[in-house]
Amino acid sequence: MTARTESAFLAAAALVAGGGTAVVTVAAGEGVTIDAPIAVLAFLMAFGGVLAAVRVWAPRGTRFLLPPVALLAALGSVEIFRIDRDLGRLQRLWLLVAAGVAVITLGLLRTRGTVVLRRFRYLFLAGALILLLLPLLPSGLPLGGATVNGSRLWVQLEVGRRTLSFQPGEGAKVLLVVFFASYLAERRHALAALPRRLGPVALPEPRQLLPILLAFGLSSGVLVYEGDLGASILLFGVFVVMLYAATERPFYLAAGGALVAGGAWAASRAFGRVAVRVEAWLHPFEHYTGSGYQVAQGVFALGDAGLLGTGLGSGSPYLIPAAATDFVFVAIVEETGLAGGFAVLAAFGFLLTVGVGIALRAGGAFRSLLAMGLSITLALQTVLIVGGVLRLLPLTGVTLPFVSYGGSSLLANFAIVALLEQISHEERA
Amino acid sequence: MRGAMRRVAYVLVAVIGVLAVWLTVQQVVAGSRYADDPRNPRARPADDRRGTITTADGVVVAEDIDGVRRYPLGGDYLQVVGYDLQDGAAGLESSRAVDLSPLEEGSITSWLFGVFGGSPEPPQMGLTVVDALQQSALDGLAGRPGAVVAIDPRTGAVLAYASSPSLDPNDLVDGTRSLADLGDDPGSLDRAAFLLLPAGSTFKILVAAAALEAGMTPDTEFEDLPEYLAPGAGLPIGNAGGGSCVAGAGITLREALVVSCNTVFASLAVDLGGEAVVGVTERAGFNTTLPFELGAAISSIPTAAALDADPGALAQTGIGERDLRVTPLQMAVIVAGIGNGGVMMKPYVVEVVSTGDGSTIDATGAARWGRVVSPEIASELASMMADVVADGTGRAARRDDVIVAGKTGTAEGGGGPHAWFIGFAPADDPTIAIAVVVQGGGSGGAVAAPIAAGVFEAWFGIRNP
Repeated sequence: MTARTESAFLAAAALVAGGGTAVVTVAAGEGVTIDAPIAVLAFLMAFGGVLAAVRVWAPRGTRFLLPPVALLAALGSVEIFRIDRDLGRLQRLWLLVAAGVAVITLGLLRTRGTVVLRRFRYLFLAGALILLLLPLLPSGLPLGGATVNGSRLWVQLEVGRRTLSFQPGEGAKVLLVVFFASYLAERRHALAALPRRLGPVALPEPRQLLPILLAFGLSSGVLVYEGDLGASILLFGVFVVMLYAATERPFYLAAGGALVAGGAWAASRAFGRVAVRVEAWLHPFEHYTGSGYQVAQGVFALGDAGLLGTGLGSGSPYLIPAAATDFVFVAIVEETGLAGGFAVLAAFGFLLTVGVGIALRAGGAFRSLLAMGLSITLALQTVLIVGGVLRLLPLTGVTLPFVSYGGSSLLANFAIVALLEQISHEERA
Repeated sequence: MRGAMRRVAYVLVAVIGVLAVWLTVQQVVAGSRYADDPRNPRARPADDRRGTITTADGVVVAEDIDGVRRYPLGGDYLQVVGYDLQDGAAGLESSRAVDLSPLEEGSITSWLFGVFGGSPEPPQMGLTVVDALQQSALDGLAGRPGAVVAIDPRTGAVLAYASSPSLDPNDLVDGTRSLADLGDDPGSLDRAAFLLLPAGSTFKILVAAAALEAGMTPDTEFEDLPEYLAPGAGLPIGNAGGGSCVAGAGITLREALVVSCNTVFASLAVDLGGEAVVGVTERAGFNTTLPFELGAAISSIPTAAALDADPGALAQTGIGERDLRVTPLQMAVIVAGIGNGGVMMKPYVVEVVSTGDGSTIDATGAARWGRVVSPEIASELASMMADVVADGTGRAARRDDVIVAGKTGTAEGGGGPHAWFIGFAPADDPTIAIAVVVQGGGSGGAVAAPIAAGVFEAWFGIRNP
């Protein structure tokens, strides 16, 4: 892909955002409003900014990464705007801030490269832990935790008379992947050695199991203290897959799978929240006037979609609770049909292969594992939430990267984009 | 390292492919299975005017006011009428949504309306429920958890259908409460048709029926034991208040029913055997689905083989305990059947659906459901039940003007005994049959029978002004 093609794709995404916004306002009988050109402008500024930073500071970075991200962000922002005008406008603002984060990340790494991150790995680990613990701060302080929908994931910062809310777990996700990558790059040979045998099964030295147990403990802690099933599964899943990638030992996949299965069983017994989620997943219509309501509304929306959907602005996605966040995929499918759903999934598949491609070509274990970890973070998160809203898995409240409404999520995912571009740039340095 | 990464990537891409296939499957399933679900807000017809619903005595219980569905009596009719919301409907508002809606656009009739001007008004619906009885039942329950079902034994028309506590559907219409968080609200449970409880001593009527079918008479005499220990059972069964049931040496079947003698019916069930007890109980509609428009839980009794294998369980079943479970609606249908010469009628709540100008679109007629007992045994049971109310445990339901037949029950429950009363009046040719239960309410004779008396008062007050 030439630089010109990439720019053309980004411009096309901006037009999708603007055109979609115009369709939404026209369908609502308002005609074309100022929102459409503003959307085009916001996308041109955001992705133009990131593109410029990549071209200046990481000129050998891949040209295949930004187009799918821009397409996903465009589809998401149009659907969010359709569901809730104010959220849509806020999302455009967050997009600009997130692009700023990507530019800053690229700028910081421009001279010394991603390798410098290894030096601060314990700082990142500490930072991630602090971020994960922040929501547990008592509410009422200027910087305090808050409970939303039974999960304590939010931190609210009082700025003058306004309250800024964010989910620090999204940032912790990125920091932890950096830590995992650096730790595994250093220890992978020791972890890969399986000197002990138990019958036909080769086992590592017991002390080498410590990291996976620590990761499991951390994930469980997130679940127990913050009630966040999604982040808990995501963190542990990313760690186990990275461990497998680093060691090539299927043993760790099996051990991780066993821990998840045991943990899931224990959690469904111990936490009412988890048991309720599972029951709502299996029998949403028997719990229609309660825990199954949201999933059931999602099913109704899917049923109305068809091949091409009801058309933007002609469906009723707002009837689904959390349509702009957890259920944004279903909202997009309702209004753009199977075709729109396939487009979103294809974009994520493309994103994943580009990310793994960067990992495969990266120089050195650390960069390779970092690119891999960041890519599978995006992919696993996508599978968790899309599988959840489609009733393939129990519903866990994680965002659909780049698509769902949410500032913290957008910021963290744009940082991932910046890191991937930088690693890609370094591969041919 | 690269090999493992490739494998992970292949698997994840395959999973995304699976998601795409699954999306297709879910769209097809959702589109075909839930497209017309009454809870599906997207399935609602464009014209969502609905007709007025009125009780048999002319009280409006559901109507459109300024385009908004309203329920003037709040939660009193929640379990019958239900509610009609954009994101869900229940009760008749759900099962009769089509009946209550104006004629569909595109139909010939609606085209004719279009030609001759005006748009068709939505049809009206008349219930069998009599509001005077419904109010008396609700007053009697006074917010305690429980249910009252009254039925016309001759037709199966439901005269009262009260479930307590309830909740106000207008709150759902206004949005002060939402369907999504109704889940555990005790008011959302239809206790008339979906509450399964042990029948307690009201079940003795069916054991008495089995005894009469086995050739005994109301005057057959039994030993008046203070305790009964079934073969192989761990704990003996005693009588309420301890001791034997009556003064004197023996006790007749009639006397045993009048004072609700546990030891007699426990031993009788064991002597008759599982086949005889389960036989009459299944004829009374246990272990089958009750044909009822609003749905009902299945009342259940274990199999004859299971009971014969465990005489202790059979003895306890004989006094309506252990694994026997019944809904108040089922009990009302059974006792109505006994009052109706042994023939149970199908219960129904909609009397008529008619157009705005009063011409009938659809009317429900009386339909036979099944025979519990022969006419002879039905009349013997009625005479014994009349004695229960005349000078037995059911005295609180006695009336001066008509003879009431009935049976009380005090069934074991976790939060105190469940108070039961079932009965009908007049005993020889009943116009009303009733089942009352108050969960954890206490003694059937003291708590449930007076509620039935209130409903009888309202009924005979209407009929003999």
